[in-house]
Amino acid sequence: MKTKITRREAGALVGGAVAGAFAPGLAQAQGKQIVIGGLYPLSGANAQIGVDAKHAYDTALDVINNKHDLDLPLAKTEGLPNLSGAKLAMTFADHQSDPQKGRAEAERLITQDKVVALIGTYQSAVANTASVAAERYSIPFLGADTSSPSLHRRGLKFFFRAAPHDEMFTQTMFDFFDDLKKKGKPVQSIALFYEDTIFGADSANVQRKLAGEKGIKVVADIKYRSNSPSLTAEVQQLKAANAQVLMPSSYTTDAILLMKTMAELGYKPPAILAQDAGFSEQTLFNAIGAQGEGVMTRSTFSLDLAQKKPSVGKVNELFKARSGKDLNDLTARQFTAAMIMADAINRSKTGEPQAIRDALAATDLPGDQTIMPWRRVKFDENGQNNDCTPVLLQRRGDKYVTVFPAEYAVADVVWS
Amino acid sequence: MASAFELRRRNQLIIAAAVVAVMIALPLGIKDVYIQNILVLTVMYAALSQSWNILSGYCGQISLGHALYFGIGAYASTLLFVKFGIIPWFGMAAGGIFAAAIALIVGWPCFRLGGHYFTIATIVLAEIGLILFLNWSYAGEASGLQIPVSGDSWTTFTFLRSKLPYYYFALGLAAVVWLVTYFIEDSKWGYYWRAVRENTLAAQSLGVQVFRSKMAAAAVSAFFTAIGGSFYAQFVSYIDPDSVMVFQFSLLMALPAVIGGIGTLWGPAVGAAILIPLTELTRSYMGGGGKGFDLIFYGAVIMIIALARPEGLLSLVTRTRPAPP
Repeated sequence: MKTKITRREAGALVGGAVAGAFAPGLAQAQGKQIVIGGLYPLSGANAQIGVDAKHAYDTALDVINNKHDLDLPLAKTEGLPNLSGAKLAMTFADHQSDPQKGRAEAERLITQDKVVALIGTYQSAVANTASVAAERYSIPFLGADTSSPSLHRRGLKFFFRAAPHDEMFTQTMFDFFDDLKKKGKPVQSIALFYEDTIFGADSANVQRKLAGEKGIKVVADIKYRSNSPSLTAEVQQLKAANAQVLMPSSYTTDAILLMKTMAELGYKPPAILAQDAGFSEQTLFNAIGAQGEGVMTRSTFSLDLAQKKPSVGKVNELFKARSGKDLNDLTARQFTAAMIMADAINRSKTGEPQAIRDALAATDLPGDQTIMPWRRVKFDENGQNNDCTPVLLQRRGDKYVTVFPAEYAVADVVWS
Repeated sequence: MASAFELRRRNQLIIAAAVVAVMIALPLGIKDVYIQNILVLTVMYAALSQSWNILSGYCGQISLGHALYFGIGAYASTLLFVKFGIIPWFGMAAGGIFAAAIALIVGWPCFRLGGHYFTIATIVLAEIGLILFLNWSYAGEASGLQIPVSGDSWTTFTFLRSKLPYYYFALGLAAVVWLVTYFIEDSKWGYYWRAVRENTLAAQSLGVQVFRSKMAAAAVSAFFTAIGGSFYAQFVSYIDPDSVMVFQFSLLMALPAVIGGIGTLWGPAVGAAILIPLTELTRSYMGGGGKGFDLIFYGAVIMIIALARPEGLLSLVTRTRPAPP
């Protein structure tokens, strides 16, 4: 492999020396493609997530493979400069939210399609098996949008995650409570409301633990069956507990049912601070209207970052042209994952899986070269990036605005 | 001179031996792990569907809750392995026996229900099992359990890259379940069960112990389904309630038998040989686009088979035999 590269580099040198005009033609003639695999649910209940993810990745490939005036790595060049302008491509596989199928597709992409890296997977359970398969074949795996903390605690050498995990998300909520305390508005009591899935359980476990550490009373701790036909009994319990802050961890249909049942039973908590998921969806706010005013959620991303980072607005335009939607918490993380992977592949110089893995491990990308509100991208020995601060958003009229932490806030929080 | 019946039985055994021989040789020529993965799933579903066929095909008690036994098997061996270090071979046997016991406990009230009511009860019980496991903190709740894989080992039945050990185990399981079914067919129980299926009242009036027939069929069926569940847990090396106990599994166990021919020796294997490669290949080579073409195609094939051959594909080859002289 090494000799091949040397020959290619020599070829590029000779080409450059003979005539500049030949160079683009030469690069095209070489036309090398580096392929990475994307594992997403493309059918079944979560199919829309996968379809949106493809648009996010296609947007990233466009930025990487073509010239764009953006302050992002590889945007200003065509392809991967260190690999003589090779283009980056992605091939997608449908894992249908099933860990077994996720693993089978990972193995297929690795052995048949010869992908040099994998990105995915939305569900943490699928990331679990797919990343183990990647480990066994020594192929780097970058978790774009999976947030279970257990994933980076398995001692895998080829697993990386640039985005926050659930404990970091919840930590930010309690940092916010600390901040309120300093301002003389301490939070005394919270109510936990979470679905009975890996997501809900992880979320509530950390909330309970942090509340205990900070002396905040958990006055209601309610686990419910996801996609429940009725939440009346649960909401009555919440109403009776009457916490200062309601903290739901729910996906869209449950979130809508929760809010509607609350309205029916005349329950309006002083504040709602949600664990993303359903509360980041426009569908929820279309369904509940004015009731959504003032609702808060954690997020990894907010469009109003565009006020501080011009690249956010431009990338959003590119994404919107493909998908007809604005970037959201998930698609922004997916776009960013592809950019980080491309940057590592470029630095690997060879495009070989082991070299890409080492390049990923050596990643040190300043936060202002991403579209995220992150300080930087740098992986610890477990492959987790710890410098990716989540943000808290609050609903104002028909959109969310960033209200915490102060360095990314565009408005002050409204807190009664 | 052997009767036509005995000849037919002997032919079945010869066919089975030939099929197993071909299946043993098959992966030697197939080095692609993805195709090997499909082979593993195919023989696994052939075994599971045959297990289901014992209760639902031969005894006529349609169960749509076999995911319960599958999940019990998966969790039993995994919990014993992860929490107590007991190697999965013992865990597998324990899971099978435990599932059989559960089937008897569940059968006690449920076999008093007839027809559709029994089927509904099986769905409900499997859902209860799912919810219990989703909330059982010792078993990892929704986060599930991870089987540690350190290297290739037959003792812990874990293999890093190779699919072949899993394949041969699954093939062995399918062969054993087939043999059990074969011997049951011509045993007293086999005739009892089919009598119960055809007409419970008539069977009872002829002295068939209906309730005990159903209980026996359920126990045998649950035992092998749980072995399949333990196998699946080892194969994937990660389980959570949503990936081993959901309703979808109950359907996936029934479907090959229904497509191939319910209550027949070869139906489940024929059904699995068609359905599993079909669903895997269409998903992999048509599903990446996210347009759902694979599912439309898959659904269409099932519909065509169901419309053209409601008694199963096997009816294409088994001719109605002439009446005995």
